[in-house]
Amino acid sequence: MAVEEVRIESGRATRRAPHRDFVEKVAGTLRYADDWGLPGMLHGVVVRAQTPSARIVNIDVSAARAVRGVHAVLTAADIPHNAIHDEASGLGIDPVIQPVLAADRVRYDGEPVAAVAAETPLAAEEAAALVEVEYEEEPGVFDPEQALEPDAPRVHDRGNRYVTWRSAVGDVEAAMARADVLVEETYRSQRVDHAYLEPEAGIGWIDSDGVLTLRVATQVIEHAREIAEILELPHSRVRVIAAYMGGGFGGKEDMTVEPYLAALVWKTRRAVRMVWTRQESLLARQKRHPFVMHYRTGALDDGTIVAQDIRILGDAGAYPLLSSRVLFAAAVNATGPYRCTDARVESIAAFTNTVPTSAMRGFGAMQVVFAYESQIDRVAQVLGLDPAEVRERNFVARGDRRVTGEEIDTEPGTRECLRRVLDELGEPARPSGPGRRVGRGFACSMQPYGRSVFFADRASCWIGLENDGTMVVRAGVTDLGAGQAASLANIAGEVLGVTVENTSVHIGDSALTPLTGGTFATRQLYMSGNATLKVARILRDKLAPVAAELLGCEPGELEFAENRVTVAAHTDRGVTMAELSREAQDRGVHPYHHGTFEAETGSFDPTTGEGRTYPDLTHGAHGAEVEVDEETGEVRILKYVACHDVGRAIDLQRVEGQIQGAVAQGIGYALSETIDTVDGVVSSTLFADYLIPTSLDLPDIKAIGLELYPGKGPLGARGIGEPPIGPPAATLASAIEDATGIRLRELPMSPERLRAALRDRVA
Amino acid sequence: MYAAAFDYVRAASWDDAVSALAQAGDDARVIAGGQSLVPMMALGIAQPSALIDIGRVDRPRIERRDGTLVLSALTRHVDLEHSDEVKQACPMLAQAAGLIGNVRVRHRGTIGGSLAHAEPTAELPCVAIAHRATVHARSTEGERAIPADELFVTHFTTTLTPGEIITNVELPALRGRQGSCFIELARRPGDFAMVNVAALVTLDEASRLDEARVVVGATSDRPADHSVSAGPFVGEPVDERTAAELARRVAGEAEIGPSSHATAEYRREMVAVLVKRALIAAAGQVPGT
Amino acid sequence: MSEHRISLIVNGRERELWVDAQQSLLEVLRTEGGATEVKLGCGEGVCGTCAVLLDGEPVNACLVFAVQADGASITTVRGLAPEGELHPLQKAFLEHAGSQCGFCTPGMILTAHWYLERHPEAGREEIRAALAGNLCRCTGYTKILDAVEAYRDACQEAHIGS
Repeated sequence: MAVEEVRIESGRATRRAPHRDFVEKVAGTLRYADDWGLPGMLHGVVVRAQTPSARIVNIDVSAARAVRGVHAVLTAADIPHNAIHDEASGLGIDPVIQPVLAADRVRYDGEPVAAVAAETPLAAEEAAALVEVEYEEEPGVFDPEQALEPDAPRVHDRGNRYVTWRSAVGDVEAAMARADVLVEETYRSQRVDHAYLEPEAGIGWIDSDGVLTLRVATQVIEHAREIAEILELPHSRVRVIAAYMGGGFGGKEDMTVEPYLAALVWKTRRAVRMVWTRQESLLARQKRHPFVMHYRTGALDDGTIVAQDIRILGDAGAYPLLSSRVLFAAAVNATGPYRCTDARVESIAAFTNTVPTSAMRGFGAMQVVFAYESQIDRVAQVLGLDPAEVRERNFVARGDRRVTGEEIDTEPGTRECLRRVLDELGEPARPSGPGRRVGRGFACSMQPYGRSVFFADRASCWIGLENDGTMVVRAGVTDLGAGQAASLANIAGEVLGVTVENTSVHIGDSALTPLTGGTFATRQLYMSGNATLKVARILRDKLAPVAAELLGCEPGELEFAENRVTVAAHTDRGVTMAELSREAQDRGVHPYHHGTFEAETGSFDPTTGEGRTYPDLTHGAHGAEVEVDEETGEVRILKYVACHDVGRAIDLQRVEGQIQGAVAQGIGYALSETIDTVDGVVSSTLFADYLIPTSLDLPDIKAIGLELYPGKGPLGARGIGEPPIGPPAATLASAIEDATGIRLRELPMSPERLRAALRDRVA
Repeated sequence: MYAAAFDYVRAASWDDAVSALAQAGDDARVIAGGQSLVPMMALGIAQPSALIDIGRVDRPRIERRDGTLVLSALTRHVDLEHSDEVKQACPMLAQAAGLIGNVRVRHRGTIGGSLAHAEPTAELPCVAIAHRATVHARSTEGERAIPADELFVTHFTTTLTPGEIITNVELPALRGRQGSCFIELARRPGDFAMVNVAALVTLDEASRLDEARVVVGATSDRPADHSVSAGPFVGEPVDERTAAELARRVAGEAEIGPSSHATAEYRREMVAVLVKRALIAAAGQVPGT
Repeated sequence: MSEHRISLIVNGRERELWVDAQQSLLEVLRTEGGATEVKLGCGEGVCGTCAVLLDGEPVNACLVFAVQADGASITTVRGLAPEGELHPLQKAFLEHAGSQCGFCTPGMILTAHWYLERHPEAGREEIRAALAGNLCRCTGYTKILDAVEAYRDACQEAHIGS
């Protein structure tokens, strides 16, 4: 994709007015999903199973229904089509049905079994507590390795192995035989929660046209179709409006409150509000897949990696949701940013009777960073070579082929990012006291952006000028706080020369905004950004002849800026956008356009493991300095630097913010966050026990967005939402090893784990 | 999410409070800051039939009367944290108070509430025992003085009768050759403690150990006084070696109950680390050392 | 079940409300109090999204029963500047991108303002510690601290000038 000659200045150069949503956020006036109500609305509550594996013998809702103020108590039989199913992989895997409300079986602790709507939140809670479910407990399986054993209890009748992806290139065994060293290790990562600060929430009602409307915190308005299927309504009779979210990170990518809210609205014919408690969210809402990653890496004496044999096992929990795609992403990215001509990858998702796992920022490709970076460090260590040099020897380049056989068709900037990070770390700190050790580490990564190309992804956009020259952009994007809406205003504004103050962006309404696909997979800038760019250019090209005629020049001489169109180099000669809009209409030229950006497509053959997968990658490197308290195992991060090649920074400040936020989540993942279960039951559902970093747990994060090599986003941008979450665990593992000599291979690297390893070393 | 229904009574005075409490019966609870009680009510773990709100019965009050620090029960953690008198007379109290929860919790939580609630991971009970504090409680039957080491029975259970309310707390101030230190092991600042250690050492003129008060909390159902274990170390200098040995002894004796946060082995090990560090720091606080 | 009549002053406006004893100050502020800027994030007092000033001091609105707050003066982020205007600290958050999803922002700005009023010369690390009770999942805190420091510097400059 050629880089447009209209150049967007990087955020540092251009000071733009902040987009309206940020103004409302600091003012406190932005209305999130629960900040919006309707008179007479009912309050909805989900009733959840309190056992991880059981048959439902009976559900008695009579006491619940009798509570004063209760309007509905729904069970499975009340749901017209009691199934959430979606062949998520896009590659023809047999779907596994997930019920909206459990009918005859409960497969995880916290699984919804009933839904209540009542006139007050208190009545709804009271009624929910009175729903009586009789269970016949059954043996469950709670570990994915055990789940694959032949005699394991079956979570689903078809067996516990949900999907296996295999890709291979070259001859792994022959290459292993050629290797001078073999490094074989197992890495384990844990279940974590998105822990966005805004709980799952929304309100639903039936509008004056009989359209069932939901206004919810969701990353995907296209779920309107799912909801219609569940209620056996025409798709055109369900509307989803996405409120600005207080965080998503993939946790609002699958439906959360939507099916329960919709069912209660549909049943009661009343407006219904639902907000999940934090504790219920920690218990039962989908999490990140824990992985067991087994790596065997072969290398020559000079550090060249010649063979990789990788097996990944992900715990899908009780239902698939997006597991097939997550394990696919893991497989495709398992070898990391390193050349590999002989490799084999197998990636499996297995069911267990635990909370379902699904999308979370990084989506399979982030868990494997810990493994492949630790492997290459180990190779360097065994060979006595410098770990940075070993990486440089092996970095993929444009034109190299991946394990799927596809070619990397944009230039990776990993080398430059690594060098920059090593420079930025500066002088090492001294330990602050006895028993403290300082160490440094770094890691590299690559992360795809954009959806797998066999999904034939597309995004649409509508842009128009009002009579007064202000601009309207309509796109079905959902905004989870990373400036999705703002970036569309910026892109359209740059092309058409309309300022942010004169732009209104309408987003996230499945009835009123052109669909763009959900905000996930770091695809929004790539998809809706490109759609906006395309439509804005078409509109400009439509309007240019009108302006040229008015100004007596050639269209090529026009400059669109500051809400005017002028003749380049003669800025006194111009027309306002208002004049242009009216003059265009007078000439029968509509000052608006609707268009669609089609992502590149490709095909992938799951039987051979070959084909095209993701459109492109974002590369980067991180570095850190830590101080370890050897007596307690506590790790304090003194410095952290993260550098990614973002291609083109539409808004550098936002890019830095994305990097810093993803790093913070990656650090929590590396050191402290975990959702542990005992016999399938989450050990603690208190937010106080879910250890996301506070301001005191993090240093200032130095975020560097380099504009090195163009990607496939608008104007050569590369996605940045997910990539920085991958490297922190590996970076910190490396720093901790530098400080203590201990390499941890299981996450989180809690003080207790490190202390145990230190103790074992002494013993 | 909602607490179970309760009657709410705001007391205007201590007399008012104790008679309202007596009237409301055994299932009634007293509330001041509510930072421990309200979450338990919201989660359905505590279901008092009535709440007697003593929040306006008295004000935070910190007074030094000769060798004693006298605090009203309604003195909040934030008051203790920033008070010069507290830092002077009972510095470990200021230290411990500053570690409780977050700034919002500290603006509501009170010392009376913390002691009466007897949460196993709470900091102030350890301080009260280490400092040999006396807790004054009142009921319709009269007033009672309870030594801190007779107050805590098990989790959320004290020797206070259902009708008794703590009105104030007295702590003997540090004397000339004393130093103290409170250390907590928590996973993040403000989190529930995994291990609490309160150490108060008295040195003789030769700067050797005369007495050590060592209280360990958060590892089991109530704080434990390990001061007796210091006996064999009287007369020793409080250096790294002595502190480590004493700490190992305390850790060996410590009761480590179940926890979802960390294994018993790790927590026992951390008792030793924290006791050692607290003793050294406490000794270092003795004036003139 | 009890019904209590309470009065609250919310950002300078007096309100008379009927509440159940079980209702938190948070719920009452969000529904009858018209203050949806006060958020529900955890219900445990740890996240900081429900932070309000109660008689000038920061508290967890989720852990105060509304009845306990009878007669109190409540300040939220919307009390920092007249409606429709932005306080310089709010502007600093905009300029330094201290807000992404914005859910922690009202509590964060309120707390930072409260802290700087009392410690106008606080350094970056003291500010970091002062905000440790306000969780953010989006920014990693760096730009929040940048914004607060910029505001502090602007205040100091203004004082030097006046």
